[in-house]
Amino acid sequence: MIGKKKIKENEAVNYNEIPAHIRRRPYYIIAPGLIILIGIMIPFVTAIFLSFTNYSFRLPKWSFVGLRNWINMFTSKAFYHALSVTLRYGIFATAAEMLIGTGVALLLKKDTKYSRILKVLFTFPLMVAPAVAVLIWQLMTSNTVGVLEKFLNIFGIYNFPWAASHSTAMFTAIVIDAWVNTPFVILLVLAGIQSLPKSPFEAAAVDGASSWFTFKTLTFPMLKPFMYIALLFRLMAALQEFGIIYALTKGGPGDTLMNISLTGYINGFTYQKLASALPYLLVLWLLINKTAKFLVTRQRYLANQAAGK
Amino acid sequence: MKGKNLKRAFAIVISAAMVTGLAACGGGSGNSNNSSGSGSSSGSGSDQQTGSTGEFDWKAYEGTTIEIQMVQHTASEAMVTKLEEFEELTGIHVEYSITPESSYFDRVSTALASGSGSPDLFMSGAYQLWDYSSAGYVEDLNTYLDDASMISPDYDVADFVQSAINALKWSGVPGEAVGTGQQMGIPLAFEVYTMAYNTRAFAENGLEVPRTYDELLAVCDKLQKWNGENSYAVAVRGARDWGTIHPAYMSMYAAFGAKDFVLEGGKLVSAVNSPEAVEMTEFFVDMIKRGGSSSWAKYTWYDCGVDLGTGNAAIVMDADNNPVHQNWEGASEEAGNIAFAPLPVAKEGDPQISNYWTWSVAMNASSKNKGAAWYYIMYFTGKDFAKYATVEGNSLDPARTSIWESEEFQTLMKDQLGYIEAYEATIDNTTILFTPQPYFFETTTEWAATLQDIVAGKYSSAQEGMDQLKKKMDKAVEDIGGL
Amino acid sequence: MNQQKQKGMITILEPVGRNLGLTLFAMFALFPLIWMVICAFKSDAQMYNTVFRFTPTLENFQAVLVGSDYFRAFFQNLLVAGGAVIVTVIAGVPCAYALARYNFKKKEDVAFQILSFKFAPEIMVILPIFLIFQKIGIYDTYFGLIWVYQLITMPLLIWVVRGYFEDISVEVEQAAQLDGYTWYEVFFKTLIPLIKPGLVASALLAFIFAWNSFTFPLILSSSKVQTITITALRYIASDTVHYGQVAVASTIAVLPEVIVALFIQKHLVRGLSFGAVKG
Repeated sequence: MIGKKKIKENEAVNYNEIPAHIRRRPYYIIAPGLIILIGIMIPFVTAIFLSFTNYSFRLPKWSFVGLRNWINMFTSKAFYHALSVTLRYGIFATAAEMLIGTGVALLLKKDTKYSRILKVLFTFPLMVAPAVAVLIWQLMTSNTVGVLEKFLNIFGIYNFPWAASHSTAMFTAIVIDAWVNTPFVILLVLAGIQSLPKSPFEAAAVDGASSWFTFKTLTFPMLKPFMYIALLFRLMAALQEFGIIYALTKGGPGDTLMNISLTGYINGFTYQKLASALPYLLVLWLLINKTAKFLVTRQRYLANQAAGK
Repeated sequence: MKGKNLKRAFAIVISAAMVTGLAACGGGSGNSNNSSGSGSSSGSGSDQQTGSTGEFDWKAYEGTTIEIQMVQHTASEAMVTKLEEFEELTGIHVEYSITPESSYFDRVSTALASGSGSPDLFMSGAYQLWDYSSAGYVEDLNTYLDDASMISPDYDVADFVQSAINALKWSGVPGEAVGTGQQMGIPLAFEVYTMAYNTRAFAENGLEVPRTYDELLAVCDKLQKWNGENSYAVAVRGARDWGTIHPAYMSMYAAFGAKDFVLEGGKLVSAVNSPEAVEMTEFFVDMIKRGGSSSWAKYTWYDCGVDLGTGNAAIVMDADNNPVHQNWEGASEEAGNIAFAPLPVAKEGDPQISNYWTWSVAMNASSKNKGAAWYYIMYFTGKDFAKYATVEGNSLDPARTSIWESEEFQTLMKDQLGYIEAYEATIDNTTILFTPQPYFFETTTEWAATLQDIVAGKYSSAQEGMDQLKKKMDKAVEDIGGL
Repeated sequence: MNQQKQKGMITILEPVGRNLGLTLFAMFALFPLIWMVICAFKSDAQMYNTVFRFTPTLENFQAVLVGSDYFRAFFQNLLVAGGAVIVTVIAGVPCAYALARYNFKKKEDVAFQILSFKFAPEIMVILPIFLIFQKIGIYDTYFGLIWVYQLITMPLLIWVVRGYFEDISVEVEQAAQLDGYTWYEVFFKTLIPLIKPGLVASALLAFIFAWNSFTFPLILSSSKVQTITITALRYIASDTVHYGQVAVASTIAVLPEVIVALFIQKHLVRGLSFGAVKG
């Protein structure tokens, strides 16, 4: 629809007939938003540009070094290790959150007083800053003074190392990530559940379908668009998770939790070797961008399908 | 008409943004020193290098505003409470920010690197100042110390603890020891490394305080789980950052005769895989395995202190001013049961070697308010403030000899059994044990990560781990030297 | 008969199972929060050797709220996060409308680009932004931070609200216009109420993201603008670790978000359904 004229199908639009201020309206409307965002586009370009230099805060002059930073990265063990950590953390954290989140949302489907109270309460972990969440969990899991440790002691489990051991650090980080972010998944899936049309379910109940059957053929497919959105946001965030891991162990023990974000930060900000850290972050950005593109396209398709378009 | 104008405006904004962006890259002059407007503006009467008016006047920089970045520390808390007094005295307004230690240096590094002149002042230790001064961010304070008109009459430079002032003097040549050269900062407080222990643990188990490494290991075996399943013998830091290496580890490392770097033909070469270094690391790892906490790898300094206070750790080997705060009356469960002793040595009679750390105030070389900033430094490293910070603010160890000798201090430390004795036994052989070089953050962080890996058994031997570490450290410093 | 008995059993077991599952998750999700609040009332001396039985004290509250500049950081954070959300709403809603209604080339690409800003690694953009901010003088200012926060607040809001707009059929607008309303009146009087759930829910999420941001304020602000997350971590340690004070700082920091959430709880879940509310 353009301006006040209704465009009939097959009717050619004569753009000369439409007043300019209406034709330009889309741009007016987008303009504020885009100006704000354009201002942020610059850093992307700058980052790409700087990755081809040896820019570092400590050198007064910088110069082009071509592909050196990139080659160094692709030939370093640290890069592939970081990639592996990034993917493992991203996939496992997201999977845990999706499974638990969807499960809890389904449990909350039935509208009881209990569920109504819990719905609100369950959003609270999301409101705690990740760095603070890490602190709380560190205190609770401390081998010497932690309340969780005292609890585990009842079952005869002593001195579980949590974030201090190579084998349990990733698990601990994922637990904390899940604690903070599962509410997000719950909210989205719950929104999806509550937007489901009632009639198919009533029909299924009349026909005597079992809950599992209903879930498999009705609920799940219709929830898919919502789950995709949750999956999208959580996966993209988990792949680049920085705050939680940095607060927890700064990437340790050893290099266990050194994902790409952390490697980039420590190399760039702690060691001040900025230009050599940028290729890492650009690769991360590329990875996230492509994955997001894929997921978004799928989601729009599914959403349109579900809406019967 | 409207549309055209909007489009034009749009295009102008975009182009302006792009141009600004590219200018920010600063074709070739990364470390730009000309910035248009930043945080701290100066009011009237702020000269840069003045002082030659002859007489000292506290109000010389009245009306200026300066900015300081502080780290969370008892000294900073004390400074904040006295800011009003400072402003009354000098007419200088101070804006401050306090950052938790774990994020502090990242923030300061970035701010200094921008060259904008903000902040005017920042707190730092010696190691970081090697990094910053090599990059040209740090003002040489000798300019002011040598200028009589810039020194207040009661400043008394000679009163500083010599090692504290010297620790912050460096010539800027990588490999050359501290003690001569530019004065990079003025000390607020410092620490040496000693052992704090729980007297109850030793009494109940009929043990003597260990004086040698062998005795220490024996005590580890006996005191593991001395106070329940979650308790252990020795607490030391283990987190993945520079803080893990510099206290007890580095002190004992040097006591074994090992060096972090040696100069070979003008180039710095890492010596962390030398026989002495490996021997010491094996000892350290052994100690952690036999007597350390099960979650050692996440320990930072306050974790160690807390464990001593709750009766979980029998011994803490860390900064002397760390466990002190667990021992004030009523501060923790084990308050009153804590005493101090010097670190163990190889055999009785060996010199008591310890590393050294000082929190100091340093000045940004790009500051636009250097005179006013210097006045801040003078006030807050002066005798009056030092006494206030130490006696009422619990800021330890004071950097001024007169405070150590004062009655108030002696009374304050009366309940800290062995504290002053341990300090006096240690201070003579205390110096900065690291080799000054600008890549300190990188070399020590990698060192901490390697230590964590060795303890966890990721390497077949300590030798292998240290060989790997040497490679990383050599790479980090490869562009230094070759004179 | 057996089937009936089975069905009977299931009808009884189902609520039990459901409530059990919910309770288990509730313990996981809520215990740390309860613990945090408890710690706020515990003195340092009793922090480690007591669990639930202790003598509550207000000394942590006093140390944080009265003895430090906590409230300054709190209000500055409120200004920045609140300001960011307001800007996001004002600039983002029209943007979402345009993306829903107008068809122009590369529409999906533009929409995706906007969304991708949320996913951009903060660490990557923070350095160039820092350099640029220093150059143009908005380092350590409210304006600078509010602008940067748009990266994390705008994308989600635009996407949610766009979904809502897409679901409002064009006929609604045309009908209102036929009634003689100008386009602007149509927008505000008819459309906004229809998108309210989505707008409100995504605004809350945007506020949460902005309120809890850590890396941006760490690098892009210094002494003039302090945020609550960095401030809360300060109480960790100067002489020893003060978990009680950190607990107070964090509990109070969470309050604004909780209050807003309680206010809009009606819209919260429905709001994130991206407009797909049917029958």
